[in-house]
Amino acid sequence: MAEPSAPESKHKSSLNSSAWSGLMALGNSRHGHHGPGAQSIGLVLVFNMWKASFSSYVSSSEHVGRWFNYRSTHHLASHGFYEFLNWFDERAWYPLGRIVGGTVYPGLMITAGLIHWILNTLNITVHIRDVCVFLAPTFSGLTSISTFLLTRELWNQGAGLLAACFIAIVPGYISRSVAGSFDNEGIAIFALQFTYYLWVKSVKTGSVFWTMCCCLSYFYMVSAWGGYVFIINLIPLHVFVLLLMQRYSKRVYIAYSTFYIVGLILSMQIPFVGFQPIRTSEHMAAAGVFALLQAYAFLQYLRDRLTKQEFQTLFFLGVSLAAGAVFLSVIYLTYTGYIAPWSGRFYSLWDTGYAKIHIPIIASVSEHQPTTWVSFFFDLHILVCTFPAGLWFCIKNINDERVFVALYAISAVYFAGVMVRLMLTLTPVVCMLSAIAFSNVFEHYLGDDMKRENPPVEDSSDEDDKRNPGNLYDKAGKVRKHVAEQEKPEEGLGPNIKSIVTMLMLMLLMMFAVHCTWVTSNAYSSPSVVLASYNHDGTRNILDDFREAYFWLRQNTDEHARVMSWWDYGYQIAGMANRTTLVDNNTWNNSHIALVGKAMSSNETAAYKIMRTLDVDYVLVIFGGVIGYSGDDINKFLWMVRIAEGEHPKDIRESDYFTPQGEFRVDKAGSPTLLNCLMYKMSYYRFGEMQLDFRTPPGFDRTRNAEIGNKDIKFKHLEEAFTSEHWLVRIYKVKAPDNRETLDHKPRVTNIFPKQKYLSKKTTKRKRGYIKNKLVFKKGKKISKKTV
Amino acid sequence: MGARGAPSRRRPAGRRLRYLPAGSFPFLLLLLLLCIQLGGGQKKKENLLAEKVEQLMEWSSRRSIFRMNGDKFRKFIKAPPRNYSMIVMFTALQPQRQCSVCRQANEEYQILANSWRYSSAFCNKLFFSMVDYDEGTDVFQQLNMNSAPTFMHFPPKGRPKRADTFDLQRIGFAAEQLAKWIADRTDVHIRVFRPPNYSGTIALALLVSLVGGLLYLRRNNLEFIYNKTGWAMVSLCIVFAMTSGQMWNHIRGPPYAHKNPHNGQVSYIHGSSQAQFVAESHIILVLNAAITMGMVLLNEAATSKGDVGKRRIICLVGLGLVVFFFSFLLSIFRSKYHGYPYRAFLLR
Repeated sequence: MAEPSAPESKHKSSLNSSAWSGLMALGNSRHGHHGPGAQSIGLVLVFNMWKASFSSYVSSSEHVGRWFNYRSTHHLASHGFYEFLNWFDERAWYPLGRIVGGTVYPGLMITAGLIHWILNTLNITVHIRDVCVFLAPTFSGLTSISTFLLTRELWNQGAGLLAACFIAIVPGYISRSVAGSFDNEGIAIFALQFTYYLWVKSVKTGSVFWTMCCCLSYFYMVSAWGGYVFIINLIPLHVFVLLLMQRYSKRVYIAYSTFYIVGLILSMQIPFVGFQPIRTSEHMAAAGVFALLQAYAFLQYLRDRLTKQEFQTLFFLGVSLAAGAVFLSVIYLTYTGYIAPWSGRFYSLWDTGYAKIHIPIIASVSEHQPTTWVSFFFDLHILVCTFPAGLWFCIKNINDERVFVALYAISAVYFAGVMVRLMLTLTPVVCMLSAIAFSNVFEHYLGDDMKRENPPVEDSSDEDDKRNPGNLYDKAGKVRKHVAEQEKPEEGLGPNIKSIVTMLMLMLLMMFAVHCTWVTSNAYSSPSVVLASYNHDGTRNILDDFREAYFWLRQNTDEHARVMSWWDYGYQIAGMANRTTLVDNNTWNNSHIALVGKAMSSNETAAYKIMRTLDVDYVLVIFGGVIGYSGDDINKFLWMVRIAEGEHPKDIRESDYFTPQGEFRVDKAGSPTLLNCLMYKMSYYRFGEMQLDFRTPPGFDRTRNAEIGNKDIKFKHLEEAFTSEHWLVRIYKVKAPDNRETLDHKPRVTNIFPKQKYLSKKTTKRKRGYIKNKLVFKKGKKISKKTV
Repeated sequence: MGARGAPSRRRPAGRRLRYLPAGSFPFLLLLLLLCIQLGGGQKKKENLLAEKVEQLMEWSSRRSIFRMNGDKFRKFIKAPPRNYSMIVMFTALQPQRQCSVCRQANEEYQILANSWRYSSAFCNKLFFSMVDYDEGTDVFQQLNMNSAPTFMHFPPKGRPKRADTFDLQRIGFAAEQLAKWIADRTDVHIRVFRPPNYSGTIALALLVSLVGGLLYLRRNNLEFIYNKTGWAMVSLCIVFAMTSGQMWNHIRGPPYAHKNPHNGQVSYIHGSSQAQFVAESHIILVLNAAITMGMVLLNEAATSKGDVGKRRIICLVGLGLVVFFFSFLLSIFRSKYHGYPYRAFLLR
């Protein structure tokens, strides 16, 4: 670290630690031989480790894919890598099965498996489960470091430290970084940030070494998460915009050409990705920019050889021809089918109404909903209001790498607006840009009046192609020059105003820290397998019904029993109960899911036929009417109907499940189809006998605040097998067909001995005889057999 | 149709003649007379039907949706001899009715009817018509109908059932949904063909040509493209639009604000954290922009070279913007996110 910048970053670092000391309960104690940056990063790491102790139910926490990830990691650890790649999971998607090795991003499992293997080789015996649990906090520490590095490249060290602090605690990322969250996204965000750091580095230096590092990091990202498409589109966009801005340089050429070729080949090594990078539209932008860059570089080469006039005509002709040719060939290849068109999930990001109409299974997931401002504010708090300021500073003092961060911010904010889930990709850039904004303010208001500094020097990389790389991004040298220039005393704002500004800014950051702590302790740390409810006096009730039910399944059912449930619970059943499931959270086969939806929404007889064909042994439903849990199957039921209707429009109609007024009601006014469908019956079986409260009638559903309409539920082909303590999970056994079919109607009786004695209709008044079944004539009518 | 139908109807009469007992001649004569008369009645009916179908076909050659008044409605839709399905939209399109939904529904209905009218499968099995409230008030009363728009299907035989009324509340009135419903009721499959919407393309082309023209006119002085402030403004606009949830508005289409029907109070902020009004998102946009501006002003005050007093004022204004508007934002958030424990400096 160069001399003049040291005091600056030193007071920055002490600021950081004092700002966070209340939060982290760690003082500014260590002034060793480490640089201040290293010290603060150390603090951030400690904080990340502290996060590991956040979750009190470490080994049981759960998110969408968590259980599946754990299962496959376990398989990898116990059977080895090649066995994992060939793994055919016959326990999922019964009877189809699933080729796991080829349909999964293996980065997470391989990372965990590798750590496990290394530790065990060093004779540190840890269970694979513990590795999985502590993987996320470890990687969030690495994310902090890479965010620091990236922000340092973009602005300066102080901003980098602030950014690392922000990303360590920001709620938008903490959901993926608490201990026990074993998700692809947890390691993918690290890979994303690190790839971007290396990319910026390679654009700055133009060295093949950094670019190769970038490719390796990109390879890791591809192996970890499907979101790598974001990288492979953002980096070409960056190059393209640089070309438009006439910021082309040999560094960009080297960096992008190397990155594209090596990255392409590396990404194709992942079995799940395979030939997609050259066959799908999502990757075509990268190829197009590659071709464009080659053409551009060639023209630049020609420019040295030709006169100006010749070159100008050639340039425009060449560029437009190249662009047109690339565009037309992509269209042609798409049309002829060599390139797959945009897949539905990606397409729905552009045409925002698309998913709602065409893909109900995507629209049904709450993570795929658009984002309200409340969730932006909830996840990012003060950062969401201040990061535009950082963007402003970046664009005002633009250079090559700030073009990149601006594009990153704009594209990520668009995606986050379309889908709540993609808030995750927005969070790092928001942290970086806010850190730049705050660091800018502190830079001017925290120091002494005498030492005012200019904003970081603009355009450090325009004309410095020839400079030796060691000197290239060392801002310290430039700062020294400016400090020398600014020797003349300048009037400052005065210490009062400065301290007021600093105090209020610190207050804002304190509020942010408090907010993050509150969100983390309330929203994200209680995992959804264990539901927690609070009493009036603040004590916590733990509803452990899920684990109770899965444990029951594991202990009491046959090892190969098939459990049917809605797909949300597939991974949990496979992971915790270790039983075969029909559908799970990997929603690759829509028609299979629709079949399960059809079984759930038909009446018992029809459902029994479907369940027999699918070999179902047990059916599991989630019912929240007793405790008022709103995420239960009745509330999800309309999605089942919709998805079933999409595949079986003749049998299932959504309108049948509504009242004539168009309402979805479970009480007496509800539609008879609803009141007799399998899901309703399974949810409310014997619920009519239960009186929860003296103020309400028996069979009062607390979730929907209604007295149920069908209290007399009888099953013919199913029987209740298990209901958990709070009725949250109900499991039914599907009965095998009887040896002899019982008849629906009474057996026909042939010889009739009237049980009752025949009573004569003769009375004293009417003495006429009476003939049974006597033919009666009516005038003008032909006698037909029917009347007899 | 009528011509083909006639002989087949007459045949049973002939058969009846043949089987009559031979002895009763006067009776036979009488019956013959009756038969002729009856056949005449049938013929009249057929003629009526043919006439109606012909009339309808003639109309449909001119336009795809017929406007019906009370008499026509009774003649073509209510009166029994029919062999065609009729889809009727009951609506109120007069401007004084102020029914904006009716207009939208009418557009969709037009698209559907045109798709049917110009499709290759067009035949005289299905017709589209509409009854405006102001032209056929008696029809509305007769059908006991008190809401518009309503879509009904009148089957060739019998009275409309419950499912013959389109469930507008739940499904909406998109032409595709209407087509699905019609396919369900009549087994006639209509492929909805929307006339491509050129307005977007034209607007884009206009914009592009405008920009291109501007660039061409000012080709000697292209400095303004390199104006960083302009680009920064544009990108900040995108960012503010997204973070204030304009995309949510675009996808969900919430109302602008909510007016309480009882006391007439207008609330601009939605009570739940799951939803928002358009007005609310605009307020948030302004707040976010103000906070950002405050931050920029703070920086400006410290870096610009100028009069110290002026810079101090700028600095204080910036600080005020950040603090006040952030507190305001936090208080709005608190009112939406129930149970949020913290509040900012000044505001509740």
